Amino acid sequence: MTAVRVVIAFFALALLGLQPVSSLAGPPFPAISDVSGTIRGGEARVRFTLRNAFPPEMVEALKSGIEITFKTNVEIERVYRRWFNRPMGQVLYTRSVRYDALSGVYRLHRDDGDELLPDVLAALDRMTRFEVVVPVTGDVEKGKPYRARVRTRLDKVGLSEPLRSIFFFSSLWDVETGWASGYLQTP
Amino acid sequence: MSPIPVGQIAPSQDADPSKKRRERWAIGIVAVLVAVLTFFEAHLAAVGGGVTFSSNIVIFALINLNVVFVVLLIFLVTRNVFKILLDRRRNILGAKLRSRLVLIFICFSLIPTMLLFIAATNITTTSIKSWIGSRVGQALTGAIEIARERLEQEARALSPPAGSAASALAGAEDPESFMRILEKTRATAPPGTALLFFDKDAEVARDGDLPAQVEAEILKRVKGIKGEALEKGAGTMIGDGVAAAWRRAPGGAIVVAARSLPPAEAARIREIAKAYDEYHQVRLLDDPIRASYVGVLILITLLIVFAASWMGIYLARQITVPVQLLAEGTEEVARGNLDVSLDYRSGDEFGTLVASFNRMTADLKASKGNLEETNASLTRTYDELRRRTQFIETILDSISTGVIVIDRHGRISMINKVAERLLLLPTDAAVGQMYRDVVQEDHYEAIRDLYREAGEAAGGQVERQVEIVVGEKRIAFRVSLTALRDDAGEYMGLVAAFDDLSQAMRLQRVLAWREVARRIAHDIRNPLTPIQLSTERMQRKYAAAHADDPVFAECTQAILSEVRTLKHLVEEFTRFARMPAPRIEEGNLPDEIRTVVETYRTSFPGIRWEFRQDGPPSVWFDPFQIRRAVTNLLDNAAAALGERGSVTVVCIHDEASGKARIEVADDGPGIPAGDRDRLFEPYFSRREGGTGLGLAIVSAIANDHGGVVRMRDNAPSGTVFEMVFPSRPPDKGKAVSAAPVVDDGRMEI
Repeated sequence: MTAVRVVIAFFALALLGLQPVSSLAGPPFPAISDVSGTIRGGEARVRFTLRNAFPPEMVEALKSGIEITFKTNVEIERVYRRWFNRPMGQVLYTRSVRYDALSGVYRLHRDDGDELLPDVLAALDRMTRFEVVVPVTGDVEKGKPYRARVRTRLDKVGLSEPLRSIFFFSSLWDVETGWASGYLQTP
Repeated sequence: MSPIPVGQIAPSQDADPSKKRRERWAIGIVAVLVAVLTFFEAHLAAVGGGVTFSSNIVIFALINLNVVFVVLLIFLVTRNVFKILLDRRRNILGAKLRSRLVLIFICFSLIPTMLLFIAATNITTTSIKSWIGSRVGQALTGAIEIARERLEQEARALSPPAGSAASALAGAEDPESFMRILEKTRATAPPGTALLFFDKDAEVARDGDLPAQVEAEILKRVKGIKGEALEKGAGTMIGDGVAAAWRRAPGGAIVVAARSLPPAEAARIREIAKAYDEYHQVRLLDDPIRASYVGVLILITLLIVFAASWMGIYLARQITVPVQLLAEGTEEVARGNLDVSLDYRSGDEFGTLVASFNRMTADLKASKGNLEETNASLTRTYDELRRRTQFIETILDSISTGVIVIDRHGRISMINKVAERLLLLPTDAAVGQMYRDVVQEDHYEAIRDLYREAGEAAGGQVERQVEIVVGEKRIAFRVSLTALRDDAGEYMGLVAAFDDLSQAMRLQRVLAWREVARRIAHDIRNPLTPIQLSTERMQRKYAAAHADDPVFAECTQAILSEVRTLKHLVEEFTRFARMPAPRIEEGNLPDEIRTVVETYRTSFPGIRWEFRQDGPPSVWFDPFQIRRAVTNLLDNAAAALGERGSVTVVCIHDEASGKARIEVADDGPGIPAGDRDRLFEPYFSRREGGTGLGLAIVSAIANDHGGVVRMRDNAPSGTVFEMVFPSRPPDKGKAVSAAPVVDDGRMEI
């Protein structure tokens, strides 16, 4: 029994020593802001801005040709004051950007089409300002409250194939926002 | 788990061999899996080109599995190491040797492994640094710039056809004219050139073939021509394997002249771009890459160290388990347990050693069994010999003959009690001594002559009658010396037998005296009556005639008086000579004796008479003869005391020994030492008027009762006569000892 206790204590201390130091990393935390938009019959157009999503090392990585992909959840719901909100539609929107060293352009990939951007500032602007169309179900009543809820996370840092295998476990950066919401206008 | 047979010793720490075997297999398999997985993961970079996302999932699982296996390996090895340390602390046999061996194995593996780890880490770090060094970066940057320049040259070469086509398209309005202009222009362009006409981000006309992805790329580029670039009106486009030039046509339309590079050249440029990308990524991820490689190295190092530790534990166990078993088995054997059997099978030298140990214990057990059997046989023989010896000793002690055995060296090896008593030799001091050191100097010469004579005699036997003084007594012995010889005739020693002839000689004298007394009585009694009658007649006839002569009266009276005396004497002799055979019957012995004592109490009032009794009164005896014997003893006591004194009469019946004893003790002057030898002989008396037959009759009565009479001095003065005889004759059922009661220093008859 003494041997078992000693072994357990040994592994407990080892696990304490293996606590991730990344948890000590500080802010700034990425966040979604300026959620707004309109909703009309069949669709909602949601605009929002992603802030603090690109720390300097991430920008440097982008310049080095590392592909960066964000996945964004957008949910539309009808808001009731004294009842549960009613979901009306949702969409998972993917946007990625990668620098093409040969062409010297930033290739922005969206669900609705690709775009070539001449510099990093334009690329960052495109990666942080969103306007997403969300198909909705149900009637949209004018003057009633409708709300969009948005959350974005870094999907994967795209590395070249050899490095992808080596850094399979390494996320390099953790970018994940909380849920942000904003009311939609009913024109 | 099968039970271990009694006496079988199995490896203690391997109480469950199958469990231990499973653990060894688990460690081995885990170590192999960790090694394989580590190798596979370490070489993923080399095969990375073909790794897909699904493969990454497999890698993810394998890596997790690897980590689990590593943890499991650490657990198993650590557990074993801790177990060895605990065993060492508990002073378990073999633990110190095992821990020492494990330590040596770990050190032998740890030191080179650590050196290898440090060297590999340094090499890896150096390699990574050299890879991401400035020279490589400059080279790659130069290469990518050259590639760009190459593409730009191609694009610039396409700018004239694009410009001429744009100018020609200014006046065209229908698609057919567009196509004719493009065909005409393409004829003057470099080979492989394709011309595309875009209006409002859509392809309007095209001449020449391009890969679909190139067309899509060109369309994206056209859509991206905005703002300042559009104002400029012309430009180039380079990309993956394609070079193009565009020119703004009047009206906002755009003409693109594009050309695909040869596949080989395009591939080389693609590789350059890929290397450039990877270089920058590696440079950015310098620390993680290094950490990754170091992690793999640590993993391999740990694997080697733990594998070596486990191997050390395994080999140490291979050595210490049989050693421990042998030590435990040896302890068991030392404690006398020869049923021990070591349960260890191996084809190596330890297996041979353990098998030899088991054979040795089996042989020892068999030898011990034989020894025990022999010992038991010897014990039985010894017991039998001792029993026989005791039997012989009992016989020798029971017989009236004294026996002394002397070995070939003249050393006394045995003396029986009779010899001890007759010769007054202490047995313990005499046995083992040379006979010449034990016997008196006066007797040594005679005994030596007999000794020599017996050794030289033809039959080895000599018989002589000798008289020697023992203590204060001269005793006649018939000595018989017999030389002992073995089957080969070798002299082994001598047996001397001593028969005390004193008693026999006394009896012979008594018998002779009886015969003498009978003849005297017969020859004297007959003339006495005529003498008496004649004398009385003379008195009656001639008394008156010789009244005046006193001589006649005195003489006749004297004759009659002497005749009466002679008659009394003859009566005594007759009584002694005609002692009848005792008529033994069961009676009350104390009562008979008390009656006699009371008679003397009355007759001799000046003497204090005391009578005591002990034991049951019923004894077999002849009342008449016993009364007579006691009367004689009391008569002697009263005569010895005169007017005053005390006489104590004791009657004891000892049922345990089957003896009745009558003691008569007086406090008179005692008997001189010179008279004691003849005290019980007839006609020996120091008393005036005594016939000397009283004690002879007592002795005869004691002998007739199968007993003896003894005399000893009383303390502080006086004499004690003791008559001892069996309380029950042998033919009356209860056996009695025929041996006379012997008391050293006593006069025995």
